[in-house]
Amino acid sequence: MEYFLIILGAVLVNNFVLNRFLGICPLLGVAKSTETAFCMGLAVIFVMSIASVVTYIIYFYVLVNLGLEYLTTVSFILVIASLVQIVEMIVKKFTPSLYNALGVYLPLITTNCAVMGVALLNIDTGAEIVIDNVLKAFINGFASGAGFMIAIVLLAGIREKLERARIPAPFKGFPITLITASIMAMAFAAFGGII
Amino acid sequence: MNFIDILIGSAFLLFLGALLATLIVIISKKLAVEKNAQLEEIRNHLSGANCGACGFAGCDAFAEALYNKKITINDCPITSKQKKDEINIILGLSGENSQKSEKTYAIVHCNGGNACRDKFDYHGYGDCKTAELIAGGRKACYTGCLGQGTCVDKCPNYAIEVNDKGYSQVYREYCTSCGLCITNCPKSIIKRIRASAKVYCACSNHDKGKEVSSVCKNGCIACGICAKNCPEKAITIIDNLPVFDYDKCSGCGICVKKCPTHCIKEIDKIN
Repeated sequence: MEYFLIILGAVLVNNFVLNRFLGICPLLGVAKSTETAFCMGLAVIFVMSIASVVTYIIYFYVLVNLGLEYLTTVSFILVIASLVQIVEMIVKKFTPSLYNALGVYLPLITTNCAVMGVALLNIDTGAEIVIDNVLKAFINGFASGAGFMIAIVLLAGIREKLERARIPAPFKGFPITLITASIMAMAFAAFGGII
Repeated sequence: MNFIDILIGSAFLLFLGALLATLIVIISKKLAVEKNAQLEEIRNHLSGANCGACGFAGCDAFAEALYNKKITINDCPITSKQKKDEINIILGLSGENSQKSEKTYAIVHCNGGNACRDKFDYHGYGDCKTAELIAGGRKACYTGCLGQGTCVDKCPNYAIEVNDKGYSQVYREYCTSCGLCITNCPKSIIKRIRASAKVYCACSNHDKGKEVSSVCKNGCIACGICAKNCPEKAITIIDNLPVFDYDKCSGCGICVKKCPTHCIKEIDKIN
């Protein structure tokens, strides 16, 4: 039940882009066609899952033991950035097909604040659902990525339709996208209170 | 202030940074993907604009297709001629074997506009793409330029405009042959043409003469006078339209003078 709550919470209730407003930059930048949005979503799921596990281990087994909790943010940035680099190299070497699908997007999310956000929220002991083991951290990371993907693919689908719509000139492009995203955020707010 | 704490903190970060840096260096050395030197060189000679006009996902993909001889260097519209020649040398194609590289421009194969009959009145919003959805647009000719400016909107260089005669026209000094107008024209009447071409047929209607003249005063009626009078035998009528062999064409301009509907035009004169 706890695991189910974590997944539901991360995907719908506390959706990273539409509820926590993290990772807005790729949401607006990449969501032009559903295809690229889907690839971007996959890359985010990938990075978030790995980053949650690694940062969780680093925080509870290294930083807490050394009493260096105040260095959390700095060391997470270091770890996540180099982790993505390493993963990119490994993927490039061993699975070229996966690299072709995700390759362009991996460096883009190196320092995505959504990835940073999931790492920091995993270690937040004051949260409603406390993440107290590595498996939960992994599930939370994966589900948060999935939530990101849902949001970005939905927005990309709407933007594809809007390309052909008759929009007043001042609203063309980013303004209408922001309005769309805000309406989507309001819709997702309806999930609040489920948990 | 407790200096020991600061020391511990910075030492930890230094250690973490050094550890990750060595890891990245080791992994990048161990897992280096061998790159093809020739491919790299081709890639460096391409313009690197990643414009996508060739239809590939950026210059890297184009270089790979070029290296595998799937395409020719001329499929890239924006790399300079000098660089294209250098790429030919890298690929071992020189002298007779070198792929001819010539600049191209977009050109609109229609001169109907106001001379072309309307099927119905259309008032209101619409660029060509949306107008085309309603019974193919208001022009009676099925390949007639609608003159509602989708190409004008798409052109990044302001090189195409709808002129006062009601059809689109390319201004060569600004055209980079990127192909955005070509792919976005719902009537598909914009095509690339060699820079050295002297004449072109400003009509795309493949119907027979009688049907064309019933919809448009300026359309090609496939009379074949141009083909008969061409001293170089460079014109053949295929599917009711003249097709020019620009290798043979001397640019004498006889076809332009003889054309009864004036739909063969000299390219220098239209701009």
